[in-house]
Amino acid sequence: MIINYLTLSIILFCLGILGVISRRNVFTVFMSIELMLNAANLAFITFARLHVSMDGHVLAMLVIAVAAAEAALALAVVILLHKHKGVLDTNIFSLLKG
Amino acid sequence: MEQTAHFYLGLIPLMPLIGAVLIGLMHVTTCRGHRFPDKLYAVLACIGPVLACIMAFQVFTILKTLPVEHRILVHKVFTWFSVGELNISMGFMADPLSSLMILFVTFIGSLIHIYSIGYMADDKTYAKFFGYMNLFLGSMLILVLGDGPVVMFVGWEGVGLCSYLLISYYNEDSSNVLAGNKAFIVNRIGDLGFVLGMAFLFWAIGAQGFDYISLKANAHLLPQATAMLVCLLLFVGATGKSAQIPLYVWLPDAMAGPTPVSALIHAATMVTAGVYMVARFSFLYVTVPDAGEIVAWIGILTALVSAIYGMFQDDIKKVLAYSTVSQLGYMFAGVGVAAYSAGIFHVFTHAFFKALLFLGAGSVIYAMHHEQNIWKMGGLKKKLPVTYLTMLVGALALSGCPPFSGFFSKDEILFSAFASGHKAIWAIGVLVAGMTAYYTFRMIFVVFHGEPHSKSSYDHAHEPPPVMTVPLVLLAIGALLAGFFNLPELFGGHQMVSSWLEPSVLDHHAHAEASTEWMVMGSSVLAFVIGFSIAYVKFAKGAQLPVFTGFAKFAYNKFYIDELYDMLFVQPYKSIGAIIWKDFDPNVTDGPRKAISWLYGAIGDAFRLVQTGYVRVYAIYMVIGLSLISLLISQTLN
Repeated sequence: MIINYLTLSIILFCLGILGVISRRNVFTVFMSIELMLNAANLAFITFARLHVSMDGHVLAMLVIAVAAAEAALALAVVILLHKHKGVLDTNIFSLLKG
Repeated sequence: MEQTAHFYLGLIPLMPLIGAVLIGLMHVTTCRGHRFPDKLYAVLACIGPVLACIMAFQVFTILKTLPVEHRILVHKVFTWFSVGELNISMGFMADPLSSLMILFVTFIGSLIHIYSIGYMADDKTYAKFFGYMNLFLGSMLILVLGDGPVVMFVGWEGVGLCSYLLISYYNEDSSNVLAGNKAFIVNRIGDLGFVLGMAFLFWAIGAQGFDYISLKANAHLLPQATAMLVCLLLFVGATGKSAQIPLYVWLPDAMAGPTPVSALIHAATMVTAGVYMVARFSFLYVTVPDAGEIVAWIGILTALVSAIYGMFQDDIKKVLAYSTVSQLGYMFAGVGVAAYSAGIFHVFTHAFFKALLFLGAGSVIYAMHHEQNIWKMGGLKKKLPVTYLTMLVGALALSGCPPFSGFFSKDEILFSAFASGHKAIWAIGVLVAGMTAYYTFRMIFVVFHGEPHSKSSYDHAHEPPPVMTVPLVLLAIGALLAGFFNLPELFGGHQMVSSWLEPSVLDHHAHAEASTEWMVMGSSVLAFVIGFSIAYVKFAKGAQLPVFTGFAKFAYNKFYIDELYDMLFVQPYKSIGAIIWKDFDPNVTDGPRKAISWLYGAIGDAFRLVQTGYVRVYAIYMVIGLSLISLLISQTLN
């Protein structure tokens, strides 16, 4: 029973990683990160259920709060990026190239 | 009494050194802005030498009151360094030899300082000059008073440095700087010999103490071969400092410095150091007569060669420079035949008349507005009467005319050479005496007699101020009378200097019949008369600029020795330097460094490929890294 929840969590997490790596649109990347966060949340809650403890729930609430704060910040960054170059393609932003 | 002497011993070298530091600091702090008046520097510069001179007299008189066998005072100021068996203390020693040396070094040094006040009056860096001069005198006093070879070496290097600084004092002209370089480098070659000799000496007998007293006590332990080696190596040092064959080439070039500097180098400091050193190590030289033989022959050959050069020079200071080299040759001939007191006595008298001649030449140069060519002077007798008379005294002393000081000291050396069986050395010595009389009076006649060769500078010539003429007169008195200190028994004297030096140097007294002594003396006087007469006939009525041909041209160009040295040593040395600079250094020495820098570059290039700048790629790296870490953790947990 538990294993199904965990499998779902892993699948969601892998989809998130795939999204971050393969997509070039900043928004999509951001959404993929959200997906990974929620996959982690699911895993937390599953383990909380397994151990009959509230710790996992607390952490999940915390992650949701952090994700909300992060969303506010990330959207501001996205707007700035758009203002800067006019596009939201991550390949345009490659200042760290060696 | 002895306490006072100890106290003075430490202070004597310190006096000029304090002056040097004080003047140097004052000069450095004020050279960019408002300068102190020159008079202040002049007074400061003369205080040190004069005080040192007074103290030297005190030490001398105190030493004189002691019984003969106790005439040795050692004042150890502090332990300088102590490594294993080598314990070196900064000590000063007064014995008859060093006390005699400091007497005339400080006396003549003081007079030269006073003279310089006038001579350097218009100089822009007046203070710098006096700072160097004080340092020079202080170094010489350390050299003379040092109680062991190591302390002597400090002074030895000090005078080398100061000679470099002062010879290239007029440093706007690059040839003067080159002359300073030459003096310094040639001296360094000699110094190497000195250091090696000192090292061998320490290696052989230094363990029981490395000052003169212990060395003298242990000298008999030295194997003959080592003693020979040490003596020769020390003599190499002496040839550098005292301008003997083959290292004499720097001294004539040293004329590039201001004239008081030449006087100081030639009379009181520097060049006498070599003779002093050989006399100081007389306890070694008496054990190996062969070494003395070599010293004597080098000395007399130097005397001959430089006398030949001196006969053909046309620069007033170069004539004097070669005469110094020649007289130093006599001194080495003296100490070489184990007549140490005669050699030192010649140092003593030579200091007076050579300082006098140089300062006189300085007056002439001053009066002629820095003209040094004797063929552009002439007839200056009427214009510079004091300079003329004093220089005449100096010239008579230098050429060995009785009863001037040079006669007694030179005759003493020649007599010792003759009586100890070195007849060839004596014969060359007499020949050189005649040549000395010739070139000295050639200079005097051309400069002071005859018609003026250059009308305009003759009209402007005038006697220098009293601050310059008074030292000349004092030195002339010294040059006239110094010989009587060592009046031989033949004239009813007691050889005061020789008997005074008795405890310090291991003299070999040669005895001979009174008739032999008269004969030796007579031949010296005859040589003087012949040399003087030739000069009188050729130059007294005025002479024109000579044209040198044949041997004269060869001698005028100093046998092309400078060119030969240049070809044999300087050019190969330079080309080796160029090879090292252009080929060896960039390719061999720099190789590893270049390889390492290339390696870092290559590694950097390799890592550059990884840094794509795309955020997705970094995400991949992160995923891979985290996966690997997770894998590792899961592996260890299982």
